Amino acid sequence: MIRLGPARGARAIVLREDSPLRRVDPRVKLALSLGASLAVMLPLERLIAFMALYALFLLWARLMDEVARQVWRLKWILILLFLVDWLIISLDLAVIVTLRLTLLAGTFTVFFATTKPEELRLALEWLRVPHRYAFSVSLAFQSVGLLDDQWRAIREAQQSRGAWSPPEVKRGLRWNDLRAQVSAATLAVRDMVALSVPAIVLAVKHAWAMNEAAYARGFDSPERVPYHRLKMTGLDWLLLTGALATGVILVWVK
Amino acid sequence: MTGSGALVAEQVSYGYLGAGKALDGVSLAVAPGEVVLITGPSGSGKSTLARCLTGLIPHLYHGELQGHCQVDGVSTTDTPLWRLAKRAGFVFQNPGEQLLATSVEEEIIFGLENLGLPPEEIESRLEEALERFGLKEMRHRAPQTLSGGEQQKLALAAIMARHPAALVLDEPLSMLDTTAASALVEHLLGLARDGVTVVLCEHRAEYLEGRPDVRVVPMGAAAPHLAPPSSIPLPASAEGQVVLEVQGLGVTLGDKRVLQGLNLALAGGQVAVIVGRNGVGKTTLLRALCGLQKHEGTVLADGARPELGLVFQNADLQLFNASVRDEILYRMPQPDMALYPWLLQALGLGSYEQVPPLLLSEGEKKRLALATVMMRNPKHGLLLDEPAVGQDAAHKQMLMSILRAVAQSGKVVLVTTHDLSLAVQADRLILLGADGFVADGPPHQVLQNDAAWSAVGLVVPDWVRNPERRAEAEGATVGGGA
Repeated sequence: MIRLGPARGARAIVLREDSPLRRVDPRVKLALSLGASLAVMLPLERLIAFMALYALFLLWARLMDEVARQVWRLKWILILLFLVDWLIISLDLAVIVTLRLTLLAGTFTVFFATTKPEELRLALEWLRVPHRYAFSVSLAFQSVGLLDDQWRAIREAQQSRGAWSPPEVKRGLRWNDLRAQVSAATLAVRDMVALSVPAIVLAVKHAWAMNEAAYARGFDSPERVPYHRLKMTGLDWLLLTGALATGVILVWVK
Repeated sequence: MTGSGALVAEQVSYGYLGAGKALDGVSLAVAPGEVVLITGPSGSGKSTLARCLTGLIPHLYHGELQGHCQVDGVSTTDTPLWRLAKRAGFVFQNPGEQLLATSVEEEIIFGLENLGLPPEEIESRLEEALERFGLKEMRHRAPQTLSGGEQQKLALAAIMARHPAALVLDEPLSMLDTTAASALVEHLLGLARDGVTVVLCEHRAEYLEGRPDVRVVPMGAAAPHLAPPSSIPLPASAEGQVVLEVQGLGVTLGDKRVLQGLNLALAGGQVAVIVGRNGVGKTTLLRALCGLQKHEGTVLADGARPELGLVFQNADLQLFNASVRDEILYRMPQPDMALYPWLLQALGLGSYEQVPPLLLSEGEKKRLALATVMMRNPKHGLLLDEPAVGQDAAHKQMLMSILRAVAQSGKVVLVTTHDLSLAVQADRLILLGADGFVADGPPHQVLQNDAAWSAVGLVVPDWVRNPERRAEAEGATVGGGA
């Protein structure tokens, strides 16, 4: 999850002002992230080599802890996929699928942990995405953390009304008792409704409020002139060249 | 500034899609540089009129509009919204929901970019706005990390940097503490002295009423006096008189110490109100008391963890069922069917029993959320977080009557609020500052304790200490609507 400002716990990706990538052009970071994502197509040996290089890059970018935290959040999915692939197909496939997912999680963390929504908007506009869509994407990106907060607030509010009964209540059920199972399943569905309806209502309300606020400040003006301009620096060119060279070596060198 | 700032509504009627008329034949003319305060009970159409005056209706809302509005002589119907936004700015009720950028600077720059200004002009206006609204020190901070008062000031700065000739504000004070509300009012009056037309739609009219330079325009019919039905008393608590004891309560959120070493004893039979600045930890305290927030120290009632019902500030968090009846009776295997009609009648929900909660007004949703918690009949009492936000005087009085009925049944009732017109009606007023409780006692005594108010960083507006003006504020709309 993306959060601007201080994060509560480890659920959100925090904007890392201390990373040297913070000052890198968002277009370059987007290109690096997409390029790194393509590495999932490499065969196992080359993928391992790429990931070793990528780990060095993360150390330089001071993002290893952030990436590790986000990958850790996926641990159960990774473990499950690894076991299923290993038991059903092969160890090689289990390793490669797990590495691919880890790499994908890492590349997106690198981008989102070092890029502000406004910078994403500039990069999208450079790619000729119309302002209104680029703005919407950046606003959505910015609002993920808020939705995360809302989700927790709803859950608390529902708990205070008796929804989401603590596990000990359901633990008492006898699984051979069909009626109890049906009743538990019905309650679970109602609990999901209890959570989903307010979540949808609040998300729509929030989106509408932001929409109004944007229009009240001339969002649809054809006269708009962006204040910030993207400008490539020496570091940007260096990173692009390095990434290109790495790609060429990994793909074509035998 | 762009234009002169004159705002006109002529015989304006408006109905939202699928709903009845929110405005019916309203006319208003605001002269350039004038300050107009629009008051009226919940549902009287204040917000709708504000949206009509700035062109959000009909450009963003596609209901049925009759009559016409003008900004600076320009029709709001025929002019694109971005052109209208140059002439008249709009500040919304919830400061957190109108901020679109990731830093204070960027928030102001967003509106300036849309004017097509050259970079030098944007920089000059940015510095001017930061200076004028006292935001210079926080220019790089994320808007989401600011207090409610600071956020509302930023929203105002972001609009005023665009130099509109008129400013329309929809309940800008409702979420602010008294200090932030008073400061915002002074800012607005300062803008008016500089020639900006200011239109405020506000329940908390007491901050502006009585000022010679403010024209008050009441809207809507007078609200009926609402009170719980005395014929059916609320059942007494099985526990007798509840006593809630809090010892050494402390809460840390992330790396921030929010509450520390709080000691408090609350007895049933009284309505207690906690007042403090935005962000001081009032909501966190309520969450800790009802067990939703990890904390240090103990919270006990009758020697055990208390069973308290919490009514959240945002009613939308709690409502999801298909009808008001289903909502109130949700997860109640053996509901108290004597309490159910009492709640419907007391909270003015009797005619909505089969209506989906999502179709209720904001005030009605808040009352329904209270009903859902009261129906669970929490053993030791009720906690309410900012129940007065967006409520008119009549509903605040009704709320206090209900809370008194709950307290008289022997339970604890604890309310947090910024609204001093509600707070002074309580039996006990507690001031919460950054270092803990600063004053505690009957409201009339606490109100006289200047040192305590100063210690918590809150101003006490004159009307609160003036019994006549306070009575007006508490009952203004009950008998005084237009």
